Amino acid sequence: MANAFVAAFEILSFGAIIVLIVLGLGIIASMMGIFNFAQGEFVLLGAYITYLAYAKGLPIWAGMVAAPFVVGALGFVLEALIIRRFYAAPIVAMLGTYALGLIIRESVRGLIGGFYLTVPEPIGGSIDIGAMHISAWRFTIIVITLLVMGACYLLLSRTSFGLRVRATLENPSLARASGISTPLIYGATFAFGAALAGLAGALIVPVFSLFADLGLRFLIQGFVAVMVGGVGSFIGPVAGAGVIGTLSAALPWVMAPVVADVLVFVLAIVFIKFRPQGLIAGKGV
Amino acid sequence: MGAAKQAIHAAVADEADVSVAEGVPAERPTTRKVLPIVEGVVLVAALLAPLVLQDYLTVFATRVIILALFALSFDLVWGYAGIMSFGQALFFGSAGYGVALLARDLNVTNILLVLPAGTLIGLTFALLLGGFLLLGRHPSSVIFVSLGTLTGSYAADRLARGWYYLGGQNGIPSIAPMSLGSYDFTEGPAFYYLVLGILVVVYLLCRFLVRSQFGLALAGLRENEQRIAFFGYKAQHLKAIIFTIGGAVAGLAGSLYAFHEGFVWPNMVGVVVSTQVVLYVLFGGSGTLIGAVIGAIIVEGVSFWLSDNYRDIWPIILGLLLLLVILFRPLGLISFVLGERERVGSFGAKPKEKRNAAP
Repeated sequence: MANAFVAAFEILSFGAIIVLIVLGLGIIASMMGIFNFAQGEFVLLGAYITYLAYAKGLPIWAGMVAAPFVVGALGFVLEALIIRRFYAAPIVAMLGTYALGLIIRESVRGLIGGFYLTVPEPIGGSIDIGAMHISAWRFTIIVITLLVMGACYLLLSRTSFGLRVRATLENPSLARASGISTPLIYGATFAFGAALAGLAGALIVPVFSLFADLGLRFLIQGFVAVMVGGVGSFIGPVAGAGVIGTLSAALPWVMAPVVADVLVFVLAIVFIKFRPQGLIAGKGV
Repeated sequence: MGAAKQAIHAAVADEADVSVAEGVPAERPTTRKVLPIVEGVVLVAALLAPLVLQDYLTVFATRVIILALFALSFDLVWGYAGIMSFGQALFFGSAGYGVALLARDLNVTNILLVLPAGTLIGLTFALLLGGFLLLGRHPSSVIFVSLGTLTGSYAADRLARGWYYLGGQNGIPSIAPMSLGSYDFTEGPAFYYLVLGILVVVYLLCRFLVRSQFGLALAGLRENEQRIAFFGYKAQHLKAIIFTIGGAVAGLAGSLYAFHEGFVWPNMVGVVVSTQVVLYVLFGGSGTLIGAVIGAIIVEGVSFWLSDNYRDIWPIILGLLLLLVILFRPLGLISFVLGERERVGSFGAKPKEKRNAAP
C-alpha cells in the first residue's frame, strides 16, 4: 500500500513537471503555430538563473522568482528581432529556433563547463503521512503546477488580453482590422511562453541538477505531448503533457525501462498518425 | 501527361524566370554555366587532396567525404522534395549498427556484402518510417512528418543506449576493417579514394534522378504540393519513394562511417547527428546537390580548424552563422555563385535544339 502510494506520487510529480514544461511550449505552438526548438533552452536558462542566484549567495527562491521575468524579457526581445520573420514558414521557424537554441545552449555550456551543478531545494525535507515519506519539494512543484495551470487558463479565457490572443489566433487579419496590434500580441504571447519555460526550469533544477543538456532532454517529450494533446488550444497540450508524463513515469514500473522509454514515443506517434487533431480538437482555450 | 509536364515546368519555372513559363523559346542567356565549374573544382580538389595532405588529415578528409554523402541523402529529401527529415541519422546510424553487428557476430566484413547490407538497412528503415509517416488516407502535415522523424531518431538513440546487445552507452568498439579478398581497407588514401569513388557515383545517380521526369515532379511537389496532386500525381507516393532513396543513401554513408571510424555509438542514430546533417545542407545550399557536399566540407573543415583554439565557442559561432544563413541566405552559401535559374535547372531529356529552324 505504502509502496503503491509512493509510486503514484512519483508518477504524479513527474507528470506535473512535464505539464509545467509543456505549458509554455503548448501556448506558443497553439497560439502562434510555431514549434519552438529553443524552448528547452529557455528552461535551461531559467535553471541557470536560479543557480546563479544560489551561487551569488542570494536566497534560492529569489532566483526562482526572477527566472520567469528574465527569460520572458529575453523571449520578447528575441521575438521582436528574429522569431517575427519566421511566421510565414513553420519549418523555417523550427530551423531558426533550433539555431537560437544551439546558441543559448552552447553559451550556457561555456559558462558552466561540462559539470552537473546541484542546487538545493528551497523547501527541503519530506512530508510524512503515517509511514510514508514524500519529498516536500516535489509536492510543492505539483501545487505550483496546478496554480500556474489555473492562472493561465483564467488569463486566456477570462481576461481581455486572453480574448485578444485568441482573436489573433483565429483570424489575424480580422483581429488587426478590429484594432488589435497583432505584432504586440505575438510578442507578448511568445514572451509569456518563454517565461513559463523559465519558471519550469527554475522549479525543476533542484530535482534534476543543472547541466547544459537539461532542456534538450524534455524538448522532444514536450513536442510529442503537444501533438498528442492537439495543437490549437490551451487545454490540449496540457492534457497531452499529462498523458505523456504519466505514461513515461508509470510504464517503467511494469516493464524494462528501455522498452518503456521507446514504447511511449512509438505509441504517441501512432496515436497522432491516426488522430492528427489530437486528444482535444479545436481552437480556443 | 505531356500537358501536365509542361504545366509543372511552368510551376517550377515560376520561381526562376517568367519567360520560360510562357514557353517562349527565348534567347538563352549566353553566360557560362557555373554549376559544372563548381562541381569540377570540388572534384579536382577532392582528387588531389590526399597528395598534399598529411596522413592524419587524409583520415579526416575521408570522414568529411562520408559525411558529404550523408548530407546528399538529406538534401534529396529536404532540398528536392521538401520533406523535413529531422531523423536522417536514424538510417545513417542503424546501418552503422547493422554492419557493426555483421562484423562482430558473423565476421562478415567483405565490402561487397557489407555496403549493400548497410544500404538495404537504411532503405528498409526509411521505407517503414516513411511509409508510416507519409502514406495514409489523409496527407500528413509537414510538422507531423518532421516531428515524427525527430522522435524516431530520438527513440532509436534511447534504445541503443539502453540495449545491452548493442553495447549500451559505449556502442560497439573495434569493428574489424572492411575487406576485399585479402585486402583490408584501413584508414588512409585507399579508403579515401574508395569513398570518393562511391560519392561520385552516388552523386551522378542523384544528379540524373533529380534532373529526370521524376525530379521534375519532385520539384513541383516542393513548390506546391497541392498543384502537383491536382495534376494527378500521387504526391504521397513520390514523397515516400524519395524518402526511401534518401534512407538508402544515408545507410550507405552510415556503413562506410562505421568501418572508417572503427566503432559505432548511440549518438550516431540520435538527434545530434540528425541536426548536424541539417546544418550541412542549409549551410551549403539545399536544393543543389553540390551545395550539400560543399556544406559538409565547409562546416566540418572550419570546425576542425577552429577546434584547436576555439573548441568551446565554435558551436556558438556555428549557431550564429546558421541563424544568419537562415535569415539572409535561405538558399545557402552556394547562392553566392549560383544563379536562381541554374539552381532550378532543366528537367527530363534535352529539348530538341533548332526549334526555330523548322518551318
